[in-house]
Amino acid sequence: MSMEKILDKERLSDWIAALAKSGMEVNAPALEDGVWTYKPVDGAVRMDHPNTKQPPKGFAFPQREVFFSFEQIKGEAPRLKQVLPESPQRVVFGVRPCDGRGAVRMDRVFGNQVDDPYYQARRKNVAYVGLACNTAPAPTCFCKSVGGSPVSTDGLDVLLTDLGDKYFAQAVTKTGEALMAAADKLFAKASPADKKSVGKVHADALAQPQRAVKDAEAAPAKLKAAFNSPLWEELARACIGCGICTFLCPTCHCFDINDEVTGSTPMKGSRVRTWDNCQFPDFTMHSSGHNPRENTAARLRQRVCHKFQYFHENFGMLQCTGCGRCVSECPVGIDIVAVVNKVAEHVG
Amino acid sequence: MSDNIYLPQLARIAHIKEEVAGERSIKTFRLEFVDGDGFEHQCGQCAMLSIFGRGESMISIASSPLIKEYKQFSIMRVGRVTSAFHDLQVGEVVGIRGPYGNGFPIDDWRGKNLIFIGGGCGLAPIWPVITTAVAQRANFKNITVFYGGRSPRDIMYRAELEKLRGSADVHLSVDKTEDGWNEFCGFVPSNVMDKAPPPDNAIAITCGPPIMIKFVIQNLQKLGFKDEQIYTTIENKMKCGVGKCGRCNVGKDYVCVSGPVYSWAQLKNLPQEY
Amino acid sequence: MINIQDIRDTARDMLAKGEVRAVIGWRAGSRGMPAEPAVITAPEQADELVWDPTCYHNLALHLVEDRKFLAHARKTSGAPIAIVAKGCDARAVVVLMQENYFKREDVYIIGVSCEGSGVLAEWKLARHLNGAVPTAAAFAGDEFTFATAAGEKRVPARDVMADRCLECRSPFPKEHNVALGEDKTGRDLAAPFAALARFETRSEGERWEFWQRQFERCIRCFACRSVCPMCYCEECVVDSINIAVAPDTTAEEKANRIRWIERSATRSENITYHMTRAMHLAGRCVDCGECERVCPVNIPLRLLNNKMEREARERFGYEPGASIGGPSLVASFRDDDPGDFIR
Repeated sequence: MSMEKILDKERLSDWIAALAKSGMEVNAPALEDGVWTYKPVDGAVRMDHPNTKQPPKGFAFPQREVFFSFEQIKGEAPRLKQVLPESPQRVVFGVRPCDGRGAVRMDRVFGNQVDDPYYQARRKNVAYVGLACNTAPAPTCFCKSVGGSPVSTDGLDVLLTDLGDKYFAQAVTKTGEALMAAADKLFAKASPADKKSVGKVHADALAQPQRAVKDAEAAPAKLKAAFNSPLWEELARACIGCGICTFLCPTCHCFDINDEVTGSTPMKGSRVRTWDNCQFPDFTMHSSGHNPRENTAARLRQRVCHKFQYFHENFGMLQCTGCGRCVSECPVGIDIVAVVNKVAEHVG
Repeated sequence: MSDNIYLPQLARIAHIKEEVAGERSIKTFRLEFVDGDGFEHQCGQCAMLSIFGRGESMISIASSPLIKEYKQFSIMRVGRVTSAFHDLQVGEVVGIRGPYGNGFPIDDWRGKNLIFIGGGCGLAPIWPVITTAVAQRANFKNITVFYGGRSPRDIMYRAELEKLRGSADVHLSVDKTEDGWNEFCGFVPSNVMDKAPPPDNAIAITCGPPIMIKFVIQNLQKLGFKDEQIYTTIENKMKCGVGKCGRCNVGKDYVCVSGPVYSWAQLKNLPQEY
Repeated sequence: MINIQDIRDTARDMLAKGEVRAVIGWRAGSRGMPAEPAVITAPEQADELVWDPTCYHNLALHLVEDRKFLAHARKTSGAPIAIVAKGCDARAVVVLMQENYFKREDVYIIGVSCEGSGVLAEWKLARHLNGAVPTAAAFAGDEFTFATAAGEKRVPARDVMADRCLECRSPFPKEHNVALGEDKTGRDLAAPFAALARFETRSEGERWEFWQRQFERCIRCFACRSVCPMCYCEECVVDSINIAVAPDTTAEEKANRIRWIERSATRSENITYHMTRAMHLAGRCVDCGECERVCPVNIPLRLLNNKMEREARERFGYEPGASIGGPSLVASFRDDDPGDFIR
């Protein structure tokens, strides 16, 4: 039975201060330069945010990660020095359920068969305190139709539900319990009336209408059948090949590895991982010039199929969590919901 | 050594041979592990070779797993990292991590006829299977090797191929003949049709330029080979080698993990995007 | 006021007669609004075309995409391609023509005047509608009228129009084959470069701090570059992710290709990228504002480009895309060009 408590809204900043005092880096949404971003805080926070522009994947999977440094005098053996990230204990407040489910998918990739030591070093020290979505969804949200919900606890350590003047705090994991226990005195017992309120708030949230992928269960088979369809050319016609959809996606994990040289005698530098993007033209281009995905149609198809077919074939779950960022931020309005629905309709 | 999948081990270049000269030259490198830990591999697996300061390249391990002293790689000069490899001398130290991918199921092929069909640089990825089979000759029935290059100067492993002739039937070909060439003249798939190896109790293993593989498979099917009897090894641009960077997938498969070795029965069910 | 039927009829007509092989315009987006760029090739598709305040995209970009597609497919263009172009878009088309990216006769410009109302800035609209979603929008002189679930809302255009529209030099597409809508040039709005002038009231130190902070936030999605019609280089000198490699490209060419910055989105790399891009757009940017609109982290990119454009105007009397005659600024030299930088 998970720990369920009540936290007065006024006490939220005290909880955060307590966590900060214990040495944790506390992050919460802040409006900066007109963009909602996660920023370190030590007290007052805002939880009235629509979703953040970028998902919290950067806490475990930053844009730049140094793997190791190297130094080599010509003719001699190189000296390598592993650089594991110094990863403080972090907690991120205000994570929406779609992003929590996003973390689950990132974890699957970086822990699949072999561990990615850099991701794991960071991930084990990040906790997510989620916030249930209890107001009308954004016009681009579609979590319900891809197996999610505005009140899902997947991937979160604690889920807060706004009950007006207080939060219903539900610990989902042991980490979540520890977070709440760290400021135990701030929390009150949840009464049966509180639990009833939460039930109602959740039910109302679930009843809110959203855009929908018409039949996400059938998507893998439909996409497979439509692989060679000329429809992809039409769907990708306006695509400009930037990186917004992938970089803002809570489950996109593609990366590049490059050597960055900072000195020449002796030669030294670092091997560095950076975010990469299947929409960039050279992503799959061989040295010979052969490119298995040589146009935007093939690259759009790859992204959509990865989210709605391939990931499902490998892990038994869709990779898209319906956060809607790629839909609202695409410079030319390419809409993954419309794409999947059109493909399904086309295949019949 | 380390649990860090991205941290290479070090290997010294023990031997370099110029296989093929010219614009797309090929050199064969023999690498010896510096630290002694090293790793074992199966036929068909690959390794990420590093030149620090330049980058990494995923190259098929061209030596048989039976050889413990070194690992062999034949590298064609095509770009940034491979050019740097071609500038290296014996004794220099590079990075190596692996082995990656799956291997040819050579143990399943005991008692069968093996037909190898290679073109261009594609002989290297199947060379470990050829040499392992020949080293364990009694385990297999007939061994046949088809191999061709554009011209006689583009034939790699020439001396080694000649040495095979006692243990295997070797059929060489060139696309464009020259004086002194007295073997088949024409493309590798045509040479296969010409010699028409029977499909009974046989496994065909092919690697080469995509266009060659396509026609080889067509011709093998014409000769009566079933899809389960045809094996190939594919390549894709790779960076991590462990199925996480998202780059090398063919459909749901990351070639660095679930490939590069595929039977045609398996490969034809994946999206033909490679 | 522009009648949408005029745009549709022109498009349908020209496609039906084979006078153009495609029409680049806007169609309704997947949620109705905002509109999205569309390339139609059949006369019956003309009915999909729309014209509303969310037609902010610079469609000249799709002319560039079309040209690149033809080049890669080694096809000749055949009949010209038509483009529905606002004043800003038409200026971009003119710049491309001055740079010989295509010939004048290859493009049929269906000019549309925003009639001084400009296009929307989504974030400004969201504040005015309190998050309500508009299902339709209309221009009428100085006002936008939005239809929402909560009823109709009228908003003065200058309260929700894009910042760049407030400083627009010419809302009327001067270069055109046919023009729809009235020329409302000379309306009473902000002076050109007003936002830049406001920014420059900060000290040099404050400004450098500001930019360092902005470039730390950049995630190098390259949306700014991808959306700019003038950033058409097949191999961008700053980061050649779009290098074109052919079977005959030598190993040397690949090994030595220019790569001025690392993939890491650090401050130093990002500064190099953005500064280089601004320099390479000097004398070429028409302030369509797309780079700033699409930036997912809201970097005020227009300030950089406007700085260069003001230089072009003050030092050389030059306005990119203003008129089709004459060479481009960076491709020409006059004896009386200012030489005060030579000391």
